[in-house]
Amino acid sequence: MDLLLISEYILIVALAIFSLATIRITTRKTTAMGLVGLSGLSIAVATILILFKNIYGLAFSGDIALALIVLGPVGTIAFSKVLRGGG
Amino acid sequence: MAFIEVTDPISLVKSIILIICAILVILGGIGILRYKDDLERVMYARIHILGIADMACILALLVLGEFLLAAAYFILAPFNAHAISNAYYYGEEKN
Repeated sequence: MDLLLISEYILIVALAIFSLATIRITTRKTTAMGLVGLSGLSIAVATILILFKNIYGLAFSGDIALALIVLGPVGTIAFSKVLRGGG
Repeated sequence: MAFIEVTDPISLVKSIILIICAILVILGGIGILRYKDDLERVMYARIHILGIADMACILALLVLGEFLLAAAYFILAPFNAHAISNAYYYGEEKN
């Protein structure tokens, strides 16, 4: 088995564990903690999608990852402006 | 026939970097979970740890050849972190 493929699988497992941790953080009490969890989740899922594109040749998952990587932070920044409140 | 084949030095370096990214991502996951919620200013600590996991993902994207995605997220991630901590400070911590 190719070493590069093994390391890609190892990274997928690590990102899956990290995604569970970020989902766990999202459920904590403050709203901002939800933002932290979701922004971590979006980059982890985007990286997993890119790994799928590399391993299985799924071209569309690269496009989804691009959307996630660009729109994730933009949505977080917009929500932060609302959370920040007046002034 | 060896179980693990290394085709060329470049893929060996790529594999090592991907494994380092996996370790950093796992440490990031452990880090954001280990702090208790009632710790003072735990939010900023978690944002910092999230930044480490972000950079590991950017490094992985670079190794996988996705330079546009890596550059886009490398630019957006600091704005993301600052917006969250700014919103938390003015929206929730100061009240």
